[in-house]
Amino acid sequence: MLERRLYRHIDWLLVGALALLCAVGVTMIYSTTYDPLTGAAGPLVSTQLWALGLGLVAFVIMLSVDYRWFSDSWVVIFVGLVALVGYAMLFGTEGGGARRWIDLGAFNLQPSEFARIVVALALATLFADRRRGPQTPVGWMLAVLIVGLPFLLIAQQPDLGTAVTLLPVCFGILVFAGLRLRYVAVLVVLAILTAPVAWAYGLEDYQRQRISSFLDPEQDARGAGYQQIQARITVGSGGPVGKGFLKGTQSQYNFLPVAHNDFIFSVLAEEQGFLGVVFALGLYLFVILRGLDAARLAKDRLGTYLVVGLMSGFAFQVIYNIAMSAGLAPVKGLTLPLMSYGGSSVIATLAAFGLVLNVRMRRFTN
Amino acid sequence: MGETETAGTGRDSMTLPLALLRLSVVIAFTAIAVGFWLLQVAQHEKYRQLAENNHQRTLSLSAPRGVVFDRDGRVLVENRYSLNISLVREQVDDLEGSIDLLAEVSGVPSSALWSVVERYERDPAYRPIVLISDASLGQVAAVAAHALELPGVFVQQLPTRFYPAGEVAAHLFGYVGEVSTDQLASAEFQNVRSGAVVGKSGVEQTYNQLLMGNDGARQVVVDAIGREIDTIGEVAPQEGRQLQLTLDYDLQEAAEAAFALAGFDGAAVVLDPRSGEVLSLVSLPAYDPNAFALGIDSATWDSLNQDPRRPLSSRALQGRYSPGSTFKIAMAVAALEEGIVTPDFRVNCGGGGTFYGRFYQCHTTHGSVDMREALEQSCNTYFYTLGEKMEVDQIHKWASALGLGEMSGIDLPYEVQGLMPSTTWKRERRGEPWYPGETLSVAIGQGAVSVTPISLAVMMATVANGGTRVTPHLLKAVNDGDGWSQAAPPVPRSAVALSPRTLSAVTDGLWYVVNRAGTGRRGRINGRDVIGKTGTAQVISLQGRIAAGDSERDLRDHGWFVFAAPAGAPEIAGVVFGEHAEHGYLAAPIARHVMETYFAKQEGRPRPVLPLPARPPAVPAIVAATQ
Repeated sequence: MLERRLYRHIDWLLVGALALLCAVGVTMIYSTTYDPLTGAAGPLVSTQLWALGLGLVAFVIMLSVDYRWFSDSWVVIFVGLVALVGYAMLFGTEGGGARRWIDLGAFNLQPSEFARIVVALALATLFADRRRGPQTPVGWMLAVLIVGLPFLLIAQQPDLGTAVTLLPVCFGILVFAGLRLRYVAVLVVLAILTAPVAWAYGLEDYQRQRISSFLDPEQDARGAGYQQIQARITVGSGGPVGKGFLKGTQSQYNFLPVAHNDFIFSVLAEEQGFLGVVFALGLYLFVILRGLDAARLAKDRLGTYLVVGLMSGFAFQVIYNIAMSAGLAPVKGLTLPLMSYGGSSVIATLAAFGLVLNVRMRRFTN
Repeated sequence: MGETETAGTGRDSMTLPLALLRLSVVIAFTAIAVGFWLLQVAQHEKYRQLAENNHQRTLSLSAPRGVVFDRDGRVLVENRYSLNISLVREQVDDLEGSIDLLAEVSGVPSSALWSVVERYERDPAYRPIVLISDASLGQVAAVAAHALELPGVFVQQLPTRFYPAGEVAAHLFGYVGEVSTDQLASAEFQNVRSGAVVGKSGVEQTYNQLLMGNDGARQVVVDAIGREIDTIGEVAPQEGRQLQLTLDYDLQEAAEAAFALAGFDGAAVVLDPRSGEVLSLVSLPAYDPNAFALGIDSATWDSLNQDPRRPLSSRALQGRYSPGSTFKIAMAVAALEEGIVTPDFRVNCGGGGTFYGRFYQCHTTHGSVDMREALEQSCNTYFYTLGEKMEVDQIHKWASALGLGEMSGIDLPYEVQGLMPSTTWKRERRGEPWYPGETLSVAIGQGAVSVTPISLAVMMATVANGGTRVTPHLLKAVNDGDGWSQAAPPVPRSAVALSPRTLSAVTDGLWYVVNRAGTGRRGRINGRDVIGKTGTAQVISLQGRIAAGDSERDLRDHGWFVFAAPAGAPEIAGVVFGEHAEHGYLAAPIARHVMETYFAKQEGRPRPVLPLPARPPAVPAIVAATQ
C-alpha cells in the first residue's frame, strides 16, 4: 500500500520532533523511577520502551494505509471502540478509582485512549460528506451519537478527564466544518451557564474537591491540594537552569505523587529548569503547528477535518497537562502525550500522528 | 463513502479557523511559558526553600552533660545511654496494628502506649514520639525481631544522666529535667532549645551552664515517607565540662552510713574550716536522682511530694531550727569579744537563777562554773547571766560574724536564711521594742533564733579558723576540654580576728565537752583533740507536748552536734543534725565516724567500719489519737 514515492512526502521534521519528545519522556521516566537508595531505576522504563515499539508499529500502520480506507470503515471501527470501552467499563481492571483497563496478560489496554482517534475519524467522515453532513438532522443526530456515546461510557468508568478530551476534538472539527463563530460564542456562554449545574449534579465529590482545592490549595494541604502545592514547589524550585538530571529532590524523594505519569513535566521543570521547559514547550509547539500544516495541505475535507480533530485533542491535552504540572490548572488524571508513562497513551498518540502524517503524505494522490 | 469532496474551494474558508486555532495555541503556550517563568525565575527562591524544607531535616543530637568527680577523682555523676523505643507516625499506615503489636512484643499495655501517642498528637507526624523510654534489652530485641512488621518504630540512643551512688548525696547533686517555659524565657537559657534537659536542683542546677554541652545536629535528606536517604552535614555534640567537686565521697558515705546506723533522719555538713570546701553534705531522707533522669513519672513525683518525711527538701540548706545549746558558742564569743566578761568569770549555778524577777531553771545544779566549765556542762544559768549583762544587738553582731542568721553563700540553689534577732529586726518586723527578758531566751539558743544546719557548720568553721567566715563551696576544678583548671575559691563572707584569749577559752570549753565530763563524749577520738558542742532544738514547748500527747514521733526534739578537729589547728569542722533524735549526744557518733574516716584516709589507714545495724528501725504505725 505504501508506494515508494510517498516516502518523499513523509514529514521527517515532524517525525524527528516526535522522536525527540519520546526520548525526553523516557529519560524523565527513568529519572522519576530512579531510587536514590538503591541506585537503580524501576521497571517502568523498559515497559515504556516496549510501548514505544508497539506505538511505532501502530504509527507505521496508520501511516501506510490510506486514511480514506479508515474513513470508509469508520462504522466498524466506531462499534469496535464502543464495545471495548463498554467492556472495560463493565469488566475492566480497576486503577485509580476507575475501571478503564482491559487486562491482556502482557499489558493492560486502555481503550478510552483511542477514543479521540475514532471520534475524530468518524466526525471527519461525517462532516466531509456533503449529503449527510451536519446540514441534515440525521447528520446532527449522528454527530451527537458519535461524540456522546463514548463520552458517556468513559465518564461512567468513571474517567471524566479522558472523556473531556473528546470535546476539543469535536469542537475543532465543528468549527472547521462551518460552524459559525457566533455559534461558538453561544456554545461558550452555554458552557459557562451550565457550569453550576454540572458542578452540583455532574461531578463526583472528589472532582469538586479537586477544583475547590485548586482555587485554594492551602485549605487541604495534606489532601487534594497536596499534589498541586507540591507541583508548584517542584517546578519553582527547579529555577532557571534546573537541579540536574536525577537531582530533583521533589521527584527523587517522592514528594510529588505520580511523577512519572501525570506530573512528568514537573520533573522536567525541576531537573532541567526554565531552559528545559522552554525547549520542551518549543518542541510541543512545533509539533502542533507542524501537525496543523497537514490540515492546510490536505487534499480533501476529510483529511483537513481529521487532522484538525486529532491536533485539537492533542493540543488541548498538552496545554492542560503542562498547566496542571505547574499547579496552574486543577489536578485531573490527564497524561502528557508522548512523555508520560503509559502504554495506551503512547500507542494512541503515535497512531494519531501516523494519521496526521498520512494525510500530509497523500496530499498529491488521488 | 467515496463521495468526499476534494478540497480546493473549501480551503479558503478554512484559512481563518486555522489561523485562529494556531493563534490560540501560541497564546496558550505563551501564557504557560510566562507561568513557568513566574514560578521558576521570579519566585524561584521561595520555592527553593519550600523544596528544601520538604526534604531536609535537622535532627538534634543530644550532648551528654559533663561528668562530675569528687576530690579524689571518683566519678559521682556520669551518663549512660538509655534506649528509647520511638515511633514516627508519618511512616506508619496502620497505627492501631503497630501499637497493638508493639504492646504485645514489649509487654507494655497498649493503653499506656496510646496515652503517649495521644499526648503528642499535635506534633508534626515526622517527629519521633518516645513510646517506651529506657527500654530493656529484651524489649529492644523484641522490637528488632519484628522490625519488618513495625515500620516507623525504631530504637534511639539517648545520653541519660546517671548517678552511680543512687540516693547518696542526692540533694547535693540535684537532678535534671526538661527545661521549663519560664526558664526558656530567661537570659540564662537563651541558647537552650525547648525540650532540652537542664539541671533542676543541686550542683546540676548551679553549674548547669558548665555541665550542659552543646547539642550537635545532623542534617539529613529524607524522602516523602521519611526514609533517611543521605546525611549532608553533621555537627558532633559537644559533651559538657567536667567538674571536680570538693566533696570527699568517703566522708559522704561514712556520714550516711552512720545516720543509717543511728536510725534517724537529719542533715550533716562537713567543711574544711581553712577554705570552706564542702567535704560532705547530707540530707536525709533522700531520693534517687536517677528517677528524674528520663523525666520523672507522675506517680513517683507525687509520692515524693506527699511523703510526710519530705525527701525532696534539703534539710542542710532549707531546714530552720533553733540552735539550742550550740548557740552558747556564739554567746561565749560575743561576751568575750565585747569584753563583758573574762574567761575566768564565774557564776554559781544553784539549779537555776532569778533574772528580771523570774526564776529560770537549769538542767541541774552545776555549782560555781567559769566560761570553760559552763560550755562543758552547758550551764544555762551561766549563759542567762551573760544574757542579762548583754544587749541583744551585741549578740547579734557576733552571731552574724560567725554566720548565724546569714546566708552561707554555698554554691547550691534554694538556701534559706535563718534568723538572728536584733532590736532593729524586732522593731521592723513586729513593730515592738526589744524586751530584755527575750535576751535570756536568745542566750541559750531559744526564742526567735533559728539556724540552718549549714550556718551552724559555718559558725564552727569560723570559730575553728580564728574568725574568717569562709564561704562553703563545692566547685574545685573545671575541665573545659583541654585540661583541668582550679576554680577560684569564693572570697570569705566576712572576717574578724578573734582574740587568742577568746579562742583558747572557747576551744578549751569545747574540748571539755568531748573529752571530759561533757555531753559530747561520744564524739571523742583518741589523740585527735576533737572539740564540739551538743544542742537540743525543741520541736514543741512543754505545754504543747502535754496537749498533743506523747505518742507522736514528730514532736520529739532535734539533736545537734557541732564539731571540729584537731583543736588548735582544725582541718575538719561541721555539724550533725539529728531530726527528732531527742538528744544531741546521739548525733555525736555520726560526727566521730566522719572524722575517723577523715583521719584514717589522711594516714592511709583502712577506713573504719561501722557495726551493721541490728535491724532497720521499725517505723511505728501512725495510730489515730484516742479520744
